[in-house]
Formats: sequence, structure tokens, C-alpha cells
Amino acid sequence: MFRLMRNVHLILGLVFVVYALLFALSSLFIIYRPWFPESRVESERTVRVAAEQAATPRALALELMRNHDLKGDLREIEQTDQGMEFVVMRPGTRAEVAYSPSSGEAKIKTRRQGFLEMLVQLHVNHGFWHDFLPSNAWSLLTVLGSIGLFLLGATGIYLWFCHHEERVIGGVILAVGLIYSLTTLALTRATG
Amino acid sequence: MYEWVKKIHMYAGLLSFMAFGVWGVAGIQSAFLPPPGGYEPPDIAQEKEFAFEGPGDLDDKELAQRIFRASEVRMGGGVYNIHRNEKGNLAFFLFTWNGRRDFTYLEEQKLVRVEFRDNNMASYLSSMHTAFSRRHPAELPARLWGYYNEFSTWAFLFMTISGVYMWIATRPRLPWARICLAGAAVVGVTLWVVTR
Repeated sequence: MFRLMRNVHLILGLVFVVYALLFALSSLFIIYRPWFPESRVESERTVRVAAEQAATPRALALELMRNHDLKGDLREIEQTDQGMEFVVMRPGTRAEVAYSPSSGEAKIKTRRQGFLEMLVQLHVNHGFWHDFLPSNAWSLLTVLGSIGLFLLGATGIYLWFCHHEERVIGGVILAVGLIYSLTTLALTRATG
Repeated sequence: MYEWVKKIHMYAGLLSFMAFGVWGVAGIQSAFLPPPGGYEPPDIAQEKEFAFEGPGDLDDKELAQRIFRASEVRMGGGVYNIHRNEKGNLAFFLFTWNGRRDFTYLEEQKLVRVEFRDNNMASYLSSMHTAFSRRHPAELPARLWGYYNEFSTWAFLFMTISGVYMWIATRPRLPWARICLAGAAVVGVTLWVVTR
């Protein structure tokens, strides 16, 4: 049984190692964000789109995705007297599109985040409602990683308990952690 | 070296055990969060009123801040959606670890009504998983949880790296372990590239 649990613990650890690093590094970046300089790149370009391919914001967005290297979820649609505006976004990249039917031009302002901010956006990415399929895949990894975290915890507890010489000190550490965390959680719940 | 790394790996996991549980709940709950604009606040669990008379020289934003400070509601991160409701009363809301709090200032009666929209347990744990030592003007219990959560983040990073080290130090040639790591790396890098 010990051997089996040890192998399960190792498999889970290795399967989720990349994802665990993503979450650990992005969490630390969130905590210490003021210490890091902003690292994003902004660019702007204009593309011509025929009016018939821009009948609706969705049609225009699809045309830009097919032929002008745009990808992500379509959001924040606004139609004005001058034309239409919307955002196409995916983790780490946000493109603001403004289209004028009179000129047939779509201005695309793109903001591309640096490595660490990209990690944060993958960290907070959630749900399975995205048009952009990789975002759904990241959400699936979040769920699987969370289940993996429970299993890693359960197998870890078993492996610790099998180390007889570590039971006393480990038990004290576990108890201290549980008492401290449960007390602060309960008091915060009660205070609000 | 190996023995010490193993010991610290074990102790770090035992001490951070509860944080990992909270993160696990938050991660699973995240799958069920609505898309932007689809958020429905929880039902009103309770209402409270307190007497308040605002100074006449404040604009709505300053008044909202003053009302929040005068209330017994704590741990709010910011005051949002400051507006006049259909009856012309100042209204706004804020979020605490426990859920949304809707404020309405009944100026003629010199009363503030607070509606409590409490999170369920999963949402509460999800909000607590975002805590760290310097987040929001939190009260002591939340700040202490924040220290624990922050410590657990460092412990998690250490355990991830030390776990790989322990594998390499003891059983690096296990074929299935290599396949697991390679598979995970391929999936991770592929997803990163198509997302980027």
C-alpha cells in the first residue's frame, strides 16, 4: 500500500508540476506585484475590411480572427453613430477594435502582457463558456489540478503517517496548522 | 541533503494542509463561475439600519466613503457603483470576505440601510483563497489568515521544486514518471503557445 501511495503521489506531482509552478509563481507575483515593473507591449494597426464582412460586430470579429491574426473571446460590444467597437481578449492579450463603416477601416489597439501578468491571467481564467477554446482548456486544467491537489494532500498525509518516527512532530505541526487556519477562517466568517 | 529536503517537504505540507484544501475548493468552484456580466448576487440574508447624518459639503463619492467608515461593515476592499437610485437616494455596494453589502442612504430619514448578501461556504472559501497579508484594510483574523495563505504559497512553491528534486534523487529512471512529466510539459507548452 505504501508503495502504491508513493507512486500515486509522484505521478500526481509530476503530472501537475507545470501547472503547480504556474499557480505558485502567479500567486507570488500577485502578492508582491508592487515590486515588479509593468511589462506590457502596446501596438496599433489599421486594417481594411469590406462593409459586407462587417455587417455585425460578430461578423467583423470573425473576419479579423480568420484573416488578421486576432484570437480570443468577443466582449464589450458597443455600436455607435460612427460605427462599432468591441474587444477581443484572451489570457495575456487584449485587442480593442474600432470600426468605421464610412472608411472601411478597423483600428486595432493590442495590449500584450508580459510573462508574469500572463501567468496571473491564466490563474484567474475560469469557466467553460469561452468562445476561445484554449481558455476552456486552461479552466479544465484548473479543475483537474484542484482535484489533484486534494489527492496529493490525501496521499501525502498517508505517506507521512507511515513514517513512524515523524508522527509526533508531524502531528503537532498538522494540529498547529489546522487550529490556526480554522480559527482565523471561522473568526473571519463570523466577523463579516 | 535529501533527508532534510524530505523533512521540510513533509512539514511544509502538513502546516499548509488547510490552505491547499481551500485552494482546491476555489479551483473547483471557479469552473462554475459565470461569464462577465452574468454575476447574480446572493439573496439578501439580513438588513440593518443605522442613524447617520452626512455633512453637507461632501460629494456622493466622499459621502459613500464616510458612510462606509461609519458602518459596522468591515473588510471592504472598495466602494463600487456609487449612484442615485430611482428614489433619489445615494446607493452603492462593497464586497467583504463574506459577500456583497448593499448600502442605501435614506437622506430624509437620516438613516443608512445595509443589505447583507452572504456568500455560501464555497464562495467564502474562494474569496479567502485570495487573501494575503497586505490585501485590503482587513481585520485581524483575515490578516492572520492572509499570513498563513502567503506562507502556504511559498510552501507550495518549495514543495513543487523539492518534489521534483526528491524524484530525481531517488528514482529518476522510472519510465512512467518520465512519461508523466513529459506529457504534462507538452500539454502545458502547447496550451501556452496557442494561447499566447
